[in-house]
Amino acid sequence: MSTAIQTEAGDTFPFPKDYSFPAFFTRQPNLQTHHAQLEKWSALVLAYARHHRLFRLSPTHPVFHNKKLDRRFAEPDARELLEHMRKDGRVEWVGNEVFVYWRKPEDWARKLEKWVEDTAQKGHVLTLYEITEGEATLGTEFHGMDGEVLLKALNHLVKRGRAQIFGQDDSLGVKFF
Amino acid sequence: MSRKGVGIGAFDRSRLTSRQFASHGSSLRASNTEALTTQLTVFRSLLQQFAQTHAKDIRSDPAFRAQFARMCTAIGVDPLASSSSSSSGAGGGLWAQLLGGSVNDFYFELAVRVVEVCSRTRGENGGLIGLKELTERVSQGRMEGSTEISADDVKRAVETLKPLGGSYAIISVGHKEYVRSVPRELSNDQASVVEAAQVLGYVSVSMLRDNLGWEKARCQTVIDDLMSEGMLWVDKQTRGEWEYWSPTSMMDTEGVMEPAIEGG
Repeated sequence: MSTAIQTEAGDTFPFPKDYSFPAFFTRQPNLQTHHAQLEKWSALVLAYARHHRLFRLSPTHPVFHNKKLDRRFAEPDARELLEHMRKDGRVEWVGNEVFVYWRKPEDWARKLEKWVEDTAQKGHVLTLYEITEGEATLGTEFHGMDGEVLLKALNHLVKRGRAQIFGQDDSLGVKFF
Repeated sequence: MSRKGVGIGAFDRSRLTSRQFASHGSSLRASNTEALTTQLTVFRSLLQQFAQTHAKDIRSDPAFRAQFARMCTAIGVDPLASSSSSSSGAGGGLWAQLLGGSVNDFYFELAVRVVEVCSRTRGENGGLIGLKELTERVSQGRMEGSTEISADDVKRAVETLKPLGGSYAIISVGHKEYVRSVPRELSNDQASVVEAAQVLGYVSVSMLRDNLGWEKARCQTVIDDLMSEGMLWVDKQTRGEWEYWSPTSMMDTEGVMEPAIEGG
């Protein structure tokens, strides 16, 4: 579970003030307060994931544990939070964790389309590996992207007739139109 | 013939004098009025001029603005109240005309932002927000670098909301001022607990019992009341007695705590 929380770069995520508020980590019994709490957590998780370019997150991720305060947003509470975020379309369950959509697949699709256009790669075939790990995408936002999220984005393009995916499981390629 | 002055002619003369006095009096009154009217006109135009030449300062400098508002109050002019009565006819619009576009609009725009912040944060604080925190939030919203906003401004802006009904008000609890955005009064007990929470940011049953000398049940009841109104957040991970936090301290910039996590 000790996923890389501080592997990427040295820069620190600027936690909001709520994060040093002890009661923030206890599920609030008052309905209205709880809703406000979920909204705050939701914004925090998204900002955190965006900062660290995190694509997957589990309900036991270290972000839910404030070591300094010795407070923990317990797993069931975090699960409830993620479920709340799912209803807003901000996460999607995959087994025991979620994809965090700090950028939604359709927005990734739009970015990809623009990139393909800008780099004159229409009609070319790229492997998914090339997109996430290749030199061509170095310095772009796609580099290091989660493969499955990429596939979701590409499927949006396929649906709109802007791309075609072919190949086998681990050697998928895509052609843009 | 007129030496005696007691003849019939005397009546005429006295009538004449009294008429002269009367006309003189009325002319005096008229000139008085005229002088006053002139003075008022001069005063009006001066104030107008002042408001116009200093419109920028009034808008941009919170200290200047506060002074200006104070001056208006001192001479019996309420730059804000006048415009709210503009609906009631010509007279009401006077000050609005004089100061409009600069002072009025400033406070009304500010009031709109106050309402925005209050309703956005109502879920987390139950409709009770510290004046200082509210001022910070309101200032954050306007990053264009234009105008600085003081707590004094926010207070005035809240006052402009009065005609909308009783829900917006400034209340003082302990040494802190709050803006209340729900039509709900704090009971004495509740106010005591809110005040107690100002010290450390939180309260607990035993803390209230020891400091206020209340029975345990009374402490718990008041806490539960405030909890149900969303004005306290519970922290159950204390390894001891639960602590009830005032959401105000969550927004406090010079808060009790520094950022919680250092990066790796």
